[in-house]
Amino acid sequence: MNATDTNLYEVLELIDAATSQDIDRAYRIARATYQPASTATYSLFSDDENAEILQRIEEAYAVLSDPRMRREYDARLRRDRASRHTAPPSAAPKMVALPVRENEPPAPSVPDYSLDEPDEPDDGVYDGPALRRVRIRHGIELDEISARTKINESHLSAIEQNRYDHLPAGVYLRGFLREFAKCLKLDPKAVTESYMALFIAHDRRPGRA
Amino acid sequence: MNVRRRATRTVTPEAARLPARVWAIGGGKGGIGKSFIAANVAATAARSGRQVLLIDADLGGANLHTCFGMPAGRGPNLSDFIEDRIQDLDKAAEETPIPGLRLIRGALGHAGTADTSHEQRTQLVQASRGLGADLVIFDLAAGMDRATLDFFLETDESMLVATPEPTSIENAYSFLRASFYRKLAHGLRDSPVRDLVREAMDQRNERGIRTPTDLIAEIERLEPAAAENLRKLISSFRPRLVVNQVRNREEVKLGFSIRSVCRKYFGLDVEYLGYVSYDDLVWRSIKERRPLVVAYPQSDSAIYIRQIVKKMLQP
Repeated sequence: MNATDTNLYEVLELIDAATSQDIDRAYRIARATYQPASTATYSLFSDDENAEILQRIEEAYAVLSDPRMRREYDARLRRDRASRHTAPPSAAPKMVALPVRENEPPAPSVPDYSLDEPDEPDDGVYDGPALRRVRIRHGIELDEISARTKINESHLSAIEQNRYDHLPAGVYLRGFLREFAKCLKLDPKAVTESYMALFIAHDRRPGRA
Repeated sequence: MNVRRRATRTVTPEAARLPARVWAIGGGKGGIGKSFIAANVAATAARSGRQVLLIDADLGGANLHTCFGMPAGRGPNLSDFIEDRIQDLDKAAEETPIPGLRLIRGALGHAGTADTSHEQRTQLVQASRGLGADLVIFDLAAGMDRATLDFFLETDESMLVATPEPTSIENAYSFLRASFYRKLAHGLRDSPVRDLVREAMDQRNERGIRTPTDLIAEIERLEPAAAENLRKLISSFRPRLVVNQVRNREEVKLGFSIRSVCRKYFGLDVEYLGYVSYDDLVWRSIKERRPLVVAYPQSDSAIYIRQIVKKMLQP
């Protein structure tokens, strides 16, 4: 298999316009996918085949993650494509068996990574359960958020469960919500305002000191 | 259970002009939640105002009716249509407790759709389009007999369900492989490369064709003229993947991995549609014999199912 025959974007299943963030994410997923004995591959690919694919992934990432090398590669790709359009069909590069070929991808599309990203709640209200759903959808555990934000896990848990009586005073809570929202890639302002409105309404309920 | 009458059909003028879309939900392995997904996807689509017809194509172990709390039925079912005891498929369609959702039952312990011909299966899919539904959903049997593969291939959209266990993923690949070769065998039956495809289906073939991408390369080499047709066939096969019973972040990402492997191994574009989390409420809804999206609409899994349906319904 000759690496120069295969489009590096195809190796990582990216479109040419991929951002550096897209490239990093595709690389992380590809690396996890083609590890030896990976759950996703073990019944189809041998460890040797995995290693070969993994090597191509590393090569592709090395070029695409480096802005200068990527620019040079993109320019070469454009030149190749231009010359292929003018060349007779018989001169088209021969395909390689594995992985996906450059000249005729089976059906160009990119994975929908939004599955890996949060959604806004339908009603725009970020209460505890809404934040929890976003977190679960994002696949992040509370202890990870706690480690990242230095917010005590019990506070985060109280936020998610709308246990307002267990939450700290307003100014601290605001800070916590902002950090929590950032971890979930949500708009910190929207989350803070939405949650604080609920918190304040609870605080003003009749019968509360 | 009180079976509410189906709401008066409020088919929009646009919807009235459109023929029914037909989806198939399969996955190779038993016990991975295909029927759970099918029942909930159907209920979600019905609750969004569509007329939905759900067909239990698992004739050996039909139990979709139980997902809706419907008792074992004595009325006409899918077997009666297949075996010509009824001429009109509509007679086998029954109201479910969900307004807008009708069900055609399989028959428990019945011999199955395996005895049917390819033509009969195509006819069944065609007949299902003409029953006034906006959406028809086939819930397929486990295993990969020809009937199941045909339903998976003959419908407009196919959804492959897998769970994060190695056994389920292995079966999902086997199912895809079997569907893939069946599609090629049918689509290329008048082509000079027909025998090559047949040969490749045997993993121990002498040409050393191990993966579908090997086969494509071999066809490109031997019969470049047939390769174009082959590429078209392959790109028209776009199953979509749902990972069920996901417990953590790694398992969410498994869907992307499966997608990538399908592309590198089969050359297939498999869209990762979404996942459904492992959830006690799912278990509870099954015990209560109510679809999760009806019993616990705010649960995490119900939210994921709605997102999946939303994507499926996008034009």
